[in-house]
Amino acid sequence: MAKNDPHFADRSGSLLESHKGYDPRIIFFYFLLAALLLILGVGLGYQQLTQVGTHAEAERQQNQRRVLFPGPRGYIFDRHGKLIVGNEHQFAVLLHLDELKAELQKEFYRIRNNYRAGGDKDIPDYSQLQQIARVTLVQRYLDQVNTIIGRREQVKTRELRGHFSRQLLLPYTLIDNLNPTEYARLIERLPVRSPLEVFATNRRAYPYGSAAAHTLGYVRPNTEVEAEDFPGDDLTTFKMKGTSGRDGLEKWFDSTLQGEAGGRIYRVDPSGYKINPPLVTRTPKQGKHLTSSLDIELQQVAEEAIGDRVGAAVAIEIASGEVLVMASKPSFDLAKFSPRASQEVVTDMNQRGAWTNQALNGFYPPGSTFKILTSIAGLRRGTLTTDQPIVFCDGRIMVGNRSFPCDVGNGHHGNVLLADAISQSCDIYYYRAAEMMTPDVLAAEARRFHFDRPTEIELPNEERRMTVPDPDWKLRERKERWFPGDTANTSIGQGFVLVSPLQMACFTAAVARNEVFTQPTLLHQPGRTFHADPIGLTPEQRTALINGMAGTITHAGGTGRTLLTPQFRIPGITVGGKTGTAQLRVNKEGRVGTINIAWFICFAPVEKPEVALAVMVVGDTIGENFYASTNAVPVASMILRRYFAQKADPTPRIIAPFKTE
Amino acid sequence: MPSHRSDSSRPFVTLAVIAVAWLLVPTAVKTFTRATFFELTAPVTLAASRVRDLQDFWSLRLHSHTDLIEAGRDVARLNSSYELAVQQNTELQAEVGRLESLLRLPSYTEYRYEHARVARREFSGWWQRIIIRKGANFGIPSGAPVVFTGGVVGRVSEVRAASAVVELISSPEVRLAGVIEGDSRPISFQGGVNPTFAPPTGVVEFMPLDIIVTPSSPKRLVTSGFGGVFPPGLTLGTVTRAAIGTDGLFQSGEVQLDARLGSLTEVTVLVPVAIP
Repeated sequence: MAKNDPHFADRSGSLLESHKGYDPRIIFFYFLLAALLLILGVGLGYQQLTQVGTHAEAERQQNQRRVLFPGPRGYIFDRHGKLIVGNEHQFAVLLHLDELKAELQKEFYRIRNNYRAGGDKDIPDYSQLQQIARVTLVQRYLDQVNTIIGRREQVKTRELRGHFSRQLLLPYTLIDNLNPTEYARLIERLPVRSPLEVFATNRRAYPYGSAAAHTLGYVRPNTEVEAEDFPGDDLTTFKMKGTSGRDGLEKWFDSTLQGEAGGRIYRVDPSGYKINPPLVTRTPKQGKHLTSSLDIELQQVAEEAIGDRVGAAVAIEIASGEVLVMASKPSFDLAKFSPRASQEVVTDMNQRGAWTNQALNGFYPPGSTFKILTSIAGLRRGTLTTDQPIVFCDGRIMVGNRSFPCDVGNGHHGNVLLADAISQSCDIYYYRAAEMMTPDVLAAEARRFHFDRPTEIELPNEERRMTVPDPDWKLRERKERWFPGDTANTSIGQGFVLVSPLQMACFTAAVARNEVFTQPTLLHQPGRTFHADPIGLTPEQRTALINGMAGTITHAGGTGRTLLTPQFRIPGITVGGKTGTAQLRVNKEGRVGTINIAWFICFAPVEKPEVALAVMVVGDTIGENFYASTNAVPVASMILRRYFAQKADPTPRIIAPFKTE
Repeated sequence: MPSHRSDSSRPFVTLAVIAVAWLLVPTAVKTFTRATFFELTAPVTLAASRVRDLQDFWSLRLHSHTDLIEAGRDVARLNSSYELAVQQNTELQAEVGRLESLLRLPSYTEYRYEHARVARREFSGWWQRIIIRKGANFGIPSGAPVVFTGGVVGRVSEVRAASAVVELISSPEVRLAGVIEGDSRPISFQGGVNPTFAPPTGVVEFMPLDIIVTPSSPKRLVTSGFGGVFPPGLTLGTVTRAAIGTDGLFQSGEVQLDARLGSLTEVTVLVPVAIP
């Protein structure tokens, strides 16, 4: 059969297929092949010619990585140019993981071979072996460091795993708190060409410790580092930790203080290890510096004077509204927030109530200091005059159907004029004054002096708990109607009225300037002045008001006479002020009772006012005799003394701690 | 024809075989070979150095008597000043001893001094080093500090049987902790990239901002002693320029090193003495 088949040729020992010259059916396959080749060619052409940009971009994204590192934050200075918040270095030893690639591989095989040689049946899987190799190798380098500096640090396994998976391009920090000697030893003993690098990181430094802690605020680490105009937004980006302001000036001016981030773009190999040198480099820049209005020496004096008590002191430059002092106690050590606060610090602050900025958000009844506002309201409405007594103070007065006592002095002021009523803080005078005006008049005057709104100083989290009560407010908030006694209480800064020390300082500065409002600011700008609407008092009225405030210190029955004692006198300076002692009902450790809030507002010199103060100190014992004259006035005295001493001799001095009664 | 092609490719094949064979040689053998090579060439270096000494000797012999008398006077003057310094040192050492006994501090000598002659100087863009005529035979260890009258020379980087290689402080391979004279904060010093005939320089990093340095008021940089390798107070150079870094935390600066580093003939190796 084979012999007769024309497709086979006969050869000795084998049968070979033979082809006939031409088979028309194969043409189909020619076309098929040609079509396939055409599709392939067109596809290739399409990909190579038209999609080249897309592929180049994909290749770039796959092969390049971006590393961003933050610029150092700007400094904060006080008004005299003293550094109050700066940056300090912290030496760290880093391990460049990208330089360990070959060593890691060797370590991996060594460990695997050890397992095999030991006949271990439970050999870890690939990823486990990889992790063991990483930890072993990093620990070996850490031991090298330990040997040089005499420590016994251990690798944090979980942290290392996370670093390898997410931050491979960034060096791994082995130790971040080297002291200068350890740093020197490492510099001298580590080989120059080593994956270990001694590096300086930066953290916030506070040369004045806890001074102005609430006002300055603190920073916390964050990874939200952004580099504007730095290319490679679409690349996988690794960000080194920076910091952002979380409170105080640090938060309010975060964008100003924040440095300009730097960055590098690296080409990486398929395993993600970087290939040096970087393709693009931009060095970081330090943030802008800030000159605050604070006077750090005065601030320290104020905080020392308040001591361990709960309280606040605010001093304002009258002409400009610049805040010289913004002290709040209890305070905290800012250094303990850098780089981050430990749980112990947080717990301690919770227990002491140190989070609250008492100067900004410590809302308390202002007590008799509010009588200045009541006086202005009465004078402007014509219900009070400067030369006519409105009531005879014999210690008690009936308001509505309630008898109100005069709590100040001996309680028998007799026929007092406005100036004496202010200096001796006669309650009966103001109860009567309140009877002579409606609560709406008093509330309107308070609103005119901005007691009903935040000061809008450059600090975050200013609360709105200030209260200027009137009948509508009481009905709305407490679902009760207004009684005549409420007006009486409001007139002496008791009852429902709540203000902050900052508001009182602004009010005092405004009164000293004969204006209705002071916009406080924490930024220093030489030559700045501030003006608002005038109060609208006649010269006689203003004289009576100021004389009353001066009499608080100089009058025989003045409530602020402490300021004339040798211990607290301010040589050559006349001060106008007003004391106040408010009562606050509290529940302390299960015991309900009343504590006193001691206030003192003042300005000086009376003849040409320069500085206004508000001091508030909270009594800590229920039922305690806690008065403004012995608790708030001495604090103001210390601040004013230092202010005028500084003015007389502006050369820097060493501040010696002192005690007040 | 085929045999001709084979002949022409034979050298490349041989080279490839040698390269593969070298790759397969154990590391220990390679290290031994390298060390042996250096030990074999070392006598040549030392012999050349001694021949140069002889040459210098005969050239000095040609000087006139007047020159020799003048040189003798100069030496006498130097000797007298050194004698004074030695006397002062003795007094200071006595004072140190007295204070140590008062404070009950242990007293010991930290270093033994080994004076060595320079056999060869090797300066290039890649390395800056000298070879001295003492090695393991005099107990010189690797890493030992080397000094001369002008301050620090460098560190011993390699020790051979009868010679040692000293990496100069002008080499980027040397880094140590210095301090500005009168200050106590450590600063990182590292040799710079120094062209062959240029005056030697180094760089400092992590220099505090309050240290003001200008070309008109340079600051002397000395060893800190904190690193545990170099004793404190040895001159490294003079910081002549400093600029604040971008992070605003530190300054970086340039250090002018002693020009005599390029023409050293005698150095002293500080051989650490084991603490009892």
